[in-house]
Amino acid sequence: MQREGKPKTRVVVLGGGTAGWMTAAGLAKLLPDLAEVTLVESEDIGIVGVGEATLPHIRGFVERLGIDEATFMRATHATYKLGIDFRDFGSIGTSYIHPFGSFGEEVAGVGFHHWWLELERQGMAAPLGDYSFAVAAAKANRFAPPAEGTSLASTYGYAYQFDATLFGPFMREFGLANGVTRHEGRVTSVERDGDSGDVRALVMEDGRRIEGDLFVDCSGFRSLLLGETLGEEWEDWTHWLPCDRAAAMPCTHETEDIRPYTTATAMPAGWRWQIPLQHRMGNGYVFSSAHLSEDEACEAIRVAAEGEPLADPRVLRFRPGRRKHSWSHNVIGVGLASGFLEPLESTSIYLAQMAITYLIELFPEGGAIDGRDRDEFNRLVDIEYDRVRDFLILHYHVTTRDDSEFWNHVRTMAVPDSLAAKMDLWRKAGRIEKYADGLFYDASWIAVYVGQGLLPDKHDTRTAFADPHRVAAALERLRQEIDGEVARMPVHVAYLKREAARLAAQPA
Amino acid sequence: MSAAGEPLRRIAIVGGGQVAILTAIGLKRAVPGCEVVVLVTQGDPRDFADHAASALPFSNRLHHRLGITEDVLIGQAGGSHRLILRYIGWGGAGQHGAMAYGSASGVPQQARFAAQWGGGSRSAGAARAPGSLAEVLANAGRFAVHQGEGTGPVDKLDYAMRWDPAAYRALLSAEAQRIGVRLVSGGIARVEMGAGGVAAISSTQGERMTADLYVDCSGIARSVIGAHPEAEWREGTERTLYYAPLGQGMLALEDRLSLLPEGWLLELASRSGLQTILGARADIHEEAAARALQTQPAAKVALHEDAVREPWIGNVIAIGDAAACMEPLAFLPIDLAHRMLDLLLELLPGRIIDPRERSEFNRRARLMLDGVHESLALHRAAPFARQVFAGDDPPDAVLSAIDQYTRRGRLPFREEYAFEAEERIGLYEALGFTRGIPPQERSGDARHVAALQAEFERSAKAALAQLPPYGQWMMQRLGARQA
Repeated sequence: MQREGKPKTRVVVLGGGTAGWMTAAGLAKLLPDLAEVTLVESEDIGIVGVGEATLPHIRGFVERLGIDEATFMRATHATYKLGIDFRDFGSIGTSYIHPFGSFGEEVAGVGFHHWWLELERQGMAAPLGDYSFAVAAAKANRFAPPAEGTSLASTYGYAYQFDATLFGPFMREFGLANGVTRHEGRVTSVERDGDSGDVRALVMEDGRRIEGDLFVDCSGFRSLLLGETLGEEWEDWTHWLPCDRAAAMPCTHETEDIRPYTTATAMPAGWRWQIPLQHRMGNGYVFSSAHLSEDEACEAIRVAAEGEPLADPRVLRFRPGRRKHSWSHNVIGVGLASGFLEPLESTSIYLAQMAITYLIELFPEGGAIDGRDRDEFNRLVDIEYDRVRDFLILHYHVTTRDDSEFWNHVRTMAVPDSLAAKMDLWRKAGRIEKYADGLFYDASWIAVYVGQGLLPDKHDTRTAFADPHRVAAALERLRQEIDGEVARMPVHVAYLKREAARLAAQPA
Repeated sequence: MSAAGEPLRRIAIVGGGQVAILTAIGLKRAVPGCEVVVLVTQGDPRDFADHAASALPFSNRLHHRLGITEDVLIGQAGGSHRLILRYIGWGGAGQHGAMAYGSASGVPQQARFAAQWGGGSRSAGAARAPGSLAEVLANAGRFAVHQGEGTGPVDKLDYAMRWDPAAYRALLSAEAQRIGVRLVSGGIARVEMGAGGVAAISSTQGERMTADLYVDCSGIARSVIGAHPEAEWREGTERTLYYAPLGQGMLALEDRLSLLPEGWLLELASRSGLQTILGARADIHEEAAARALQTQPAAKVALHEDAVREPWIGNVIAIGDAAACMEPLAFLPIDLAHRMLDLLLELLPGRIIDPRERSEFNRRARLMLDGVHESLALHRAAPFARQVFAGDDPPDAVLSAIDQYTRRGRLPFREEYAFEAEERIGLYEALGFTRGIPPQERSGDARHVAALQAEFERSAKAALAQLPPYGQWMMQRLGARQA
């Protein structure tokens, strides 16, 4: 259906990495009547392939595009993810799982964690994670999709752990099948309108000129359009998030089991990930180059990886921060071209996805951009980045570690005012600053605070009125109920195999 | 190691209206060991939350939590149910629409569908099909509250309650005393300030009272917060309210909010009597108001909106009209009071009030207030309202929200908002704003729309067959109570 004869908006996506193909595929599939999508990529330029671990939101993206989950998982060698196991963050030897799910439930209008804190004080509480379905399932290496409704088995969500180098190509294939035009080659110059300063066309090495109304910069850290061409200012966050390198190295699985969760282990100059895929384990050491050399990091990941190495360590470089505006003139940055927050909470793909979602909602018709939509887009992207940033900093700052320069720095650094206020509220009153927009709500903050050993001075006064033995008995019942239901779930590997078999049995 | 804070020992609540008493019930239930005293003061006709005869669905849940059951509201306080608020003329002559409640109000799931078939505003003469299941039921006069868990379309309907304000207040008062709240009559004579805020208050009967926490529910008298040197106020619009004599009692599933050249006209179909209120522009003469009201007004009240910037200062918290005076449109003043009470119960302080808890309360309460002011401004920004209330220029944030809605079908996210997304869409449509079709919905195919339409018709038909006439069901319910 063509609307009122308005021409389609010509969108040119620059960059064939994960962000580029997600953008192109999303626009082509969801705005077939409004957008004409072209993607420019060069085989000479490698892709970073950020984010092997994702957040539950990715399921919405896959579903929205009408992609079958099992097909998608097979193509990307994906496994299920129930959360992240953080080790040695608060102090060496401690660990906790940050689940995609809640802890217990509110009783008499008082949040669960207040009751738990009261029992903890009395020495009658089990670890907080024992009251979370997602944590219990993760620890038991079990997985099944959450139930509908309000039962206990509905109190969690899940995401995927997948091979990022396969996700991009999967989206490419999907994008091409949905009408994206692809141009191969290097961009040598960018043509701008003399009056407005808008980008008019990309000029390729072989002389081709690719015109557009709207340009999406997915050129990675180079940020060819938003950064190099338009000079959009970069806001550096290295002082809060000092990690600026990763040494990545895949290896074989050590055991038959595949964990339905990602592991993040704190290291002397950062942390390392273990992301279990179907066919291998992803490993990487995210570190601060001010505190560790690249060679040292590569050596450290070789030593730390548990399986047989499948390749030599590869070093990725990045800068934490963001462009002050993600949408400037007729250029929108998606992915690394617009900003980067390190992968500690698997937010890279989420941030790209949110930018694409907002772009779709605010998509300019007939090639004409309305300044109000641009402002709204930038406002929304700011909220996302600020909230994720504060939550990431929290993982570094809430620690008693003093065993390295790096940890001494992050433990003692000044944090953003917005985070300082949130931490103060927790410390003094055991409360979480409440918001419903953006990422990471109450349960996430509580998981990190408690998991990293920051208990508040006070919790809700009402917990003192109840008989602690009755509260303890109620919590114990919850724990047993969770354990009982988890024991009936299939183990993760078995569930993956069952899904694979189901898919194989389907007619092609 | 974390410890539970020392609980509040004594709370003094100042005010004599329904907000003060409900607040007392809420606090007494939260901290049973605490002495809760209400210093009963005289109200003002401009205390709209205190005089509210109906609220929004949020209040049903609050009431339930505080032990005020729907049965009691119906049996003792003239309670009845509203499924829709019908807006008439806000978009211009002949335009009308209905705002329903809950996430399954029907309009929203597919805006495209809604725009083509149901919810969109229509000009005079053009047939307008009901945009929601609630409207279908209200038109047919059929409804019954379903008891127990269900998943059918009817179970997802939400509704608001009406009540008789005097009976409701009496009911709350009895309940408060039953659970141990002490009511002290005589009004407030003196507020003593000390280093930590309010040091004591004295009643006109000579009783001097100290408390850990003072809750000001005294309405626009602002007996306590008004005496606080740190309280700052922001001003709003001016309006004159004319009240028609109470009409016949009735059982109806809808109330009406019309826009006339003189101002807005609320017709609240209460069991205890039809209440008609004209919210007139401040410059409208009394004769013109009487013509608009179609009768001589029984009462007249001039109001000047204002709101406190921080409702919790030191050891004083203002709730209800004491925190914000605003014109009583769309039941927002009482809804705000109830949501602020709920917030206080969530962030209940101990004896020692932590400044961070206080600022978190203020942060969220401000978001609530901003949201309510935005909803009010949205009413004044409706196409015809821009003429009627010329001079009440909508703030930029409201214009920007309207722009996003009408051009793109988007609702910018709001924290602590009175209405859910679906209800907001219903409100925009009822006010005469036509939703823009979001880019991602432009390419939907006609079969999908037809399927949705058929599904809606099926569930509407099923609901009509399933539900009894509302009056019949209410009579049964009342009869069952008496039996």
